[in-house]
Amino acid sequence: MTTGTASRPKSPPERVRATAGAWLTTTDHKRIALLTIGTASFLFLVVGILALVIRAQLAVPDRHLVSNDMYNGLFTIHGSGMIYLVMTPIAIALGLYLVPLQVGAPNVAAPRVAMTGFWFYVVGALLIFGGFLTALGPATGGWYSYPPLADSRYTPGVGQSLWIAGVFIAVVGMMLQAGTVLWTTLLKRGRGVTMLRMPVFTWSSVATNLMVIGSFPALLAAMALLGVGRVFPQVFTDNQWNIGYQHLFWFFAHPVVYVMFFPFVGTVAEVLSTFSGRRFFGYRATVVSLLVFAGFSMSVWGHHMFSTEQSSNDYYSLTSILLLVPAGVEYFGFLATLVGGKLRFPAPMLFALAFIPQFLVGGLTGIMVATPVVDYQVTDSYFIVAHWHYTLAAGSLFGMFAAFYFWFPKATGLLLDERLGRWHFWLMVVGTNATFLPMFWLGLDGMPRRIATYLPGDGLSLPNLISSVGAAVLALGVFFWVINVVTSVRYRRRPAGDDPWGGLTLEWATSSPPAPTNFDDEHPLPPVRSFAPLLDEREREETAGENPEQHGTIGSRRS
Amino acid sequence: VSLQGIFSDVFRLEVTIAAVVFAIILVLLVVSLIRRRAGVTRRPSGRADNMPLEIGYAVALTGIAVFLVVVTANANHRESQIQEAARTAPDVARVDVTAYQWCWRFRHLDGPATADGTCTEDPSTRPVLVVPVGRPVELRLTSNDVVHAFWIPDLAVKSDVYPDHTNSLSMTFDHPGQWLGRCSEYCGTHHPTMDFYVRAVPEQQYQQYLASGGAAA
Repeated sequence: MTTGTASRPKSPPERVRATAGAWLTTTDHKRIALLTIGTASFLFLVVGILALVIRAQLAVPDRHLVSNDMYNGLFTIHGSGMIYLVMTPIAIALGLYLVPLQVGAPNVAAPRVAMTGFWFYVVGALLIFGGFLTALGPATGGWYSYPPLADSRYTPGVGQSLWIAGVFIAVVGMMLQAGTVLWTTLLKRGRGVTMLRMPVFTWSSVATNLMVIGSFPALLAAMALLGVGRVFPQVFTDNQWNIGYQHLFWFFAHPVVYVMFFPFVGTVAEVLSTFSGRRFFGYRATVVSLLVFAGFSMSVWGHHMFSTEQSSNDYYSLTSILLLVPAGVEYFGFLATLVGGKLRFPAPMLFALAFIPQFLVGGLTGIMVATPVVDYQVTDSYFIVAHWHYTLAAGSLFGMFAAFYFWFPKATGLLLDERLGRWHFWLMVVGTNATFLPMFWLGLDGMPRRIATYLPGDGLSLPNLISSVGAAVLALGVFFWVINVVTSVRYRRRPAGDDPWGGLTLEWATSSPPAPTNFDDEHPLPPVRSFAPLLDEREREETAGENPEQHGTIGSRRS
Repeated sequence: VSLQGIFSDVFRLEVTIAAVVFAIILVLLVVSLIRRRAGVTRRPSGRADNMPLEIGYAVALTGIAVFLVVVTANANHRESQIQEAARTAPDVARVDVTAYQWCWRFRHLDGPATADGTCTEDPSTRPVLVVPVGRPVELRLTSNDVVHAFWIPDLAVKSDVYPDHTNSLSMTFDHPGQWLGRCSEYCGTHHPTMDFYVRAVPEQQYQQYLASGGAAA
């Protein structure tokens, strides 16, 4: 567990490194990432429980478990919590953990900046949840908090102000972390790791962090504008500022959807190729498509504003529909990898496989809502709620769990339980689809989003009941996940070893968990000749065993 | 052609395309899961690229995207033309629609009629927007306070309603009837009950409604 050699600085002994103080002041990118992901996972459970209260209220018509204002607070904190405090931090921190390992770097660039980012994130989360302790309750503006509703005339109360400050600070934290990871990828790569030998996951992180740097400042401007409206609400009597806020907000808020998506595309690519036993098919096309996708993502924001009648609908429709090209190229890579693979099906593979058809539902309905004449009807209805839950919950969340099951052994040295993992997986599949599929029909039947209740005569009762039952099943699945993590860590029965899956990328060449410097004398950085260096090594050894005369040629054929 | 007709034509086309794409991908996925599972397959493929295939595929995707863009832009232009034609027709009936927290007011410009109401869970007190059948109607939408949205789900008609700004929504009601209208942009505490009715009546009845100052409909 230590690097007892003279050639490297000695890290402190394990008993010092294990204290809370050592964790909270760490400069090790892996620990900073685990703190961020751990906090976000805890908040995922909290914010998920808010959604269960929402589904309990909507399970039957005309039910008033909570007041309208509390309901509005619940969906606001559910939505904004999942986006700002759960999926975005996990998406960025997954890169913070993995990218230095995958590019053979001993640490992230500027680790103290990354750690500052974590603390900003914690402060932001505390401010947002602090709203529950105020007299008028939490923020009620929704995750996009449009003015004038979110100004101090129409939403008095400290909760909304705390929310604006909290979102601002948490997002600054995420920008800091994203910046350090991008810097590491561009300038801190290990020997032999050229740009086109970086794994697909690392490339997905590059595209993600470019979008963070390019688009998150617009959110800071939007939150600052909203902050002005808390003090001088008369600003928002002028249409220019209301519509201007929407443009600023969506300039951030469309790219952030892909920030919460790309790292999981990268994850799914890694998991599929590992459990197919082969290189990811179409690597270069996928890299190009990720970068094109990231570029286009900055030009589609107006499609959130088709029904405002104050946006260039033809233009935003054009750019939005063109996104199907890079998305289709990524799907091609997924399927082509499987078509030529030798497949194994442990828990991470199951989550990655379910991601493919489930995210596809979100993508295909995305084309519908990118069509103005369709969007006029379905926007702000439950159709749109169904659409993005298919992208974020049925898609990204499944990718997140694939990542969790895949890299948990690397981060902890322990395997999770496969049987509990399967229960988790199948309950999630049933629960997710039962929750979100009926919402398409609810939207087409005229149910607006964000309504605290509906009437028996509205004809919305059955799909809502199915959806609520589905949410309970989904929650049960997540409960199995928690049990799995708790029992695996507590009983420590299943040591993972360095490489439990037959991995392809550099993180599997070091110990589990990796040494503080990632690679050391016991686990040196292997030679890197492609984006799947460990597979190159295995193939070379195999070939050397079969035909000794070819030794050395196979492993380097892709360099 | 009505706005609803354009919506359902394009929506049906896109649902069909989506269903075909979903089916193809699902079949590919399931077949490869069965045929390439570890017990059956001896070795994974060593091939990592097939550039002509990948480029050809990307070109085909671009073709599909261009097709969809053309269909979409066409439909949107038809919709704008319908609205423009209705708006500029000489016999257009105009109504000022005002949204406020949390209800609607409909002021007819052709006569001294204004419809008001209270938006609660009781349907009988909801405001009613009365419109004539068979000639264009222009609704001029504005808000007194926050952003709302005017939505008639069964007719596929929706527009956001802003303070300090007027959006125009124009259409022709082909046949008499009554439809539920709702606010679809979240607007605060009583957003869920901000409902109204749209009632299309024959011309003569509409004139009576206007003359009575909004009493009889």
